[in-house]
Amino acid sequence: MGEGRQRTNWVLLSLMLSAVAAWLTLDAVSVAPNRIVPGSAYTAREVMDGWPALLLALPMLAVAVLAWQPTRKGLRLALVAVVALLTLLPLWLSAATAVLVESDMPRARVGIGSALWLLLFLLLLALIELRTRLGLSRPMGWLLLVPMGAGWWLALTLWLEPLALLREYQARSDQFITALAMHLVLVGAAVGASLVLASLLALAMRRHAGIRRAGFGVLNFLQTIPSLALFGLLLAPLAWLGSRIDWLSAIGVSGIGWAPAFLALLGYSLLPMVRNIHVALEEVDPAVVESARGMGMNRSQVFLQVRLPLALPVVLEGIRITTVQAIGLTAVAALIGAGGLGTFIFQGLGQAAMDMVLLGALPIIGLALMADALFGSLSERLRPGGAA
Amino acid sequence: MIELFDVTKRFGNDTAVDGISLRIEKGELCALVGTSGCGKSTTLRMINRLIEHDGGEIHLDGQPVRNFDEVTLRRRIGYVIQSTGLFPHWTVARNIGLVPRLLKWPKGRVRERVEELMQLLGLPVAEFADKYPRQLSGGQAQRVGVARALAADPDILLMDEPFGALDPITRETLQHEMRELQARLHKTIVFVTHDMDEALALADRLVVMHQGRVVQQGRPIELLHDPVNPFVESLLGGMDRGLKEAALIRVSERMLPLGPRLLASERIAYGASLSQALSVMLWHQVDRLTVVDEEDIPIGELSLRRLLGAKAS
Repeated sequence: MGEGRQRTNWVLLSLMLSAVAAWLTLDAVSVAPNRIVPGSAYTAREVMDGWPALLLALPMLAVAVLAWQPTRKGLRLALVAVVALLTLLPLWLSAATAVLVESDMPRARVGIGSALWLLLFLLLLALIELRTRLGLSRPMGWLLLVPMGAGWWLALTLWLEPLALLREYQARSDQFITALAMHLVLVGAAVGASLVLASLLALAMRRHAGIRRAGFGVLNFLQTIPSLALFGLLLAPLAWLGSRIDWLSAIGVSGIGWAPAFLALLGYSLLPMVRNIHVALEEVDPAVVESARGMGMNRSQVFLQVRLPLALPVVLEGIRITTVQAIGLTAVAALIGAGGLGTFIFQGLGQAAMDMVLLGALPIIGLALMADALFGSLSERLRPGGAA
Repeated sequence: MIELFDVTKRFGNDTAVDGISLRIEKGELCALVGTSGCGKSTTLRMINRLIEHDGGEIHLDGQPVRNFDEVTLRRRIGYVIQSTGLFPHWTVARNIGLVPRLLKWPKGRVRERVEELMQLLGLPVAEFADKYPRQLSGGQAQRVGVARALAADPDILLMDEPFGALDPITRETLQHEMRELQARLHKTIVFVTHDMDEALALADRLVVMHQGRVVQQGRPIELLHDPVNPFVESLLGGMDRGLKEAALIRVSERMLPLGPRLLASERIAYGASLSQALSVMLWHQVDRLTVVDEEDIPIGELSLRRLLGAKAS
């Protein structure tokens, strides 16, 4: 390690070789004259005589070579190459679109092929690997994504009008905003409510062993019910409540819609939340608590100044898990008319329109990754004595 | 002054402490020793009421501890434990200032006191004040633990195996510093340990506990000479008791002024113990040592006869 020369980075090497293979052999892009007719697919080599594709393959091979006997300088160079590749992908797609879509095809749709998806995925993995190897901070990692974001933004606003995904979005942009908002509201409400409830429950569990046993029993049971079944189970009682109690029906409580979705999400969120809060509070080093008491801190001082701050990173970990889980589960809630991004997924599946499925799925993945990164870095920051 | 009258503690059916009576004078360092589970830690923690006693009475300066509010009581008593119990999310300075802040001292006075204590314990303020506990070595962390316990200048210090988790060299350094600190501060200290050498080196008074009872108490030398039963004898080292006693006596107490004879070739510091002197003699196979002061200047001599004679006195 000292002289800067390290052992072969097999992760990076295999990522890059797979990237080259996928890029040169799989379908990169497809063009259809309209939404109904299946399109024809092209590999990257078949677009523009193939030379831009080969040009893009070169830096991938270069990174693979650098990974063979990596030095710190070499890895930095590899990082630059990966960031550049990620930025160039949308531009390549724009160029391919310009070439493949002729002016007499106003309804033409360009689909993103498996080669491009795979390349995007492999390059992002390579970016993570390089960030770890070079010991760059999390914020730095996010900064590295900026050029790629700029590339996509530029391509989407200027040149990628025929992109099927964009067309699906443009056809229902209002719907999309509503769905996104509904998704966020459902997740936020479920996580927020479960945080409050779980805190109370965890505090009660610390006081009484009976509540602890019963509580975990019930929550574990809830967690084992499949989500669709739970939605179904909630249907009857909520419909009954909605029909009997006026003010409940006035705010929209019925067998389907947001009410059962919210309750089910809340139920699923409680277990990870309660478990993390409980474990976090219990696992504070007993010696620290004992010395806090021995020094003459009273009960509330011990809890507020010692136990809680030491438990907070683990609690945040619970919020992170719960949020990511809720973002995924809310997609299913679309099936009972709760709205959210899942609507596009199920509609798209019904119409066999893969691009519409993607319109729902991609933002869900993005949201989950963002929530994960946000709470992950917050929890890291709050680790005791960790703030430099 | 701490007094225990017939104090008892039961955990369920187990009697952890069985009617013990003790009197620890002001300014005295009293070591509680015994095998694990003998009730020494329990006894210690009943004094600051981390554990409440079931029977008997515990008095501080003539007042039953039950008359104090437990939080007020603990703020008046310094407490040091083996694992330090430092708050990992607080800096060294904040950890040390804990009790003064609980007592609502003005900010400036807390800061002054923290810096004073850090100097007292050999922790340079500029280097350590803003460090977190996980950035400290075991010895440094325990120094911070002692500083924290001394922060509000309590008369009484309770120490539960404070040096038990340290490596032997650090432990010896800290024991030495502890002795010097006590010589200056004259706190009333109750010190729990299972390390007999540590107890012998530090204690003014030794209390041997076994199965929740006090088996014997007295000055270390008294216990070494007259153990009441085989248990105390073996706890104190059995056949090694001679060496343990020799470790308590300084060379300076037994040396003779320089005589007309030639200086012996092997030297020993006047502050060393008789056991160290004996070891040097054994190693070099000589029966006479030159005693030197800090500057390595000969000030006397110690013969094997004198060394052995010490035993008879």
